[in-house]
Amino acid sequence: MSISERLLLGRLVKRDEEAFNEVVRSYGDRVYNLVLRLVGSPSEAEDIAQEVFVTVFKSIESYRGEAKLSTWILRIAANHSKNRIKYLARRRTSGQELRDGTDATEMADEGNAPVQAHFDAPDVVLEAAETERIMQAAIAKLDEEQRLLVVLRDVEELSYDEIVEITGLPEGTVKSRLHRARMALKDMLEGKLK
Amino acid sequence: MKAPDSHQRTNEAFSAYLEGELPREEQAQVEEHLASCMQCRVSLERFRKTVGGLGALKRTAPVSFLENVQAQINRRSRGRFFSKRGLLFGRIPFEWISLAMIVAMLVYYIVLLRTSPTGVVPGK
Repeated sequence: MSISERLLLGRLVKRDEEAFNEVVRSYGDRVYNLVLRLVGSPSEAEDIAQEVFVTVFKSIESYRGEAKLSTWILRIAANHSKNRIKYLARRRTSGQELRDGTDATEMADEGNAPVQAHFDAPDVVLEAAETERIMQAAIAKLDEEQRLLVVLRDVEELSYDEIVEITGLPEGTVKSRLHRARMALKDMLEGKLK
Repeated sequence: MKAPDSHQRTNEAFSAYLEGELPREEQAQVEEHLASCMQCRVSLERFRKTVGGLGALKRTAPVSFLENVQAQINRRSRGRFFSKRGLLFGRIPFEWISLAMIVAMLVYYIVLLRTSPTGVVPGK
């Protein structure tokens, strides 16, 4: 653990509000994007991401610093997402409507553009939104574990060491399952991307 | 014609090949196969495009995210989660407090002058 992380941790344990704000500012976007890619729905993603930080703050005293703070937070985010995916799947199979009418491909169906795209020309925005919609729909078709590996490695660009810490899988297993997930995505996207 | 398992072996090595993790000998075998197999070259290009495209899937949290997290924590803990700070210090910038004190002293001084029973203005 770095010195700045140790200092931050000390302030977090003392429940210093500004330290908590710093953590949300530093990791909020990564947590939100990770959760969004795993569950597929922006409204669910915001809700889960908030829950992640509530859990982080409630259990900060149990953080021992074996992993990096970012890795610990992302592990919590992955676990919350998995639980929500299971919960949503149970609701779906029991025939109930999902909250706000969302499901794992809600965002893809909405065709929302990535944030940066709003500064680009309209045709670029449309193309970016369409690419995102297609890719998100393909990610949603992967099984839960493959989805997590693809998002951690290729969307969040984490190292294999970090992915091993988050998933608890051996590195070789991470690599072989990630490769299968990438191949599955490639096949699903055939002829769909420009 | 290439043996089917050579295509499969090459495809299975795509991730390690693109991440530069193949041992030299295996890398040479993959490259040798790619050099003579259009089907696998196309497949590798699509694989590369897929993996590269994933890196562009970035979105930032909603603007109100921090406020919403704070509100959640304060609501659930009934405002008792964060350690208490002084009423003024720590919440209001020091410069503002200094400025407010200077203004307050000036006002007090002016009021004092106006209500002086002798009407003597100090300094005259």
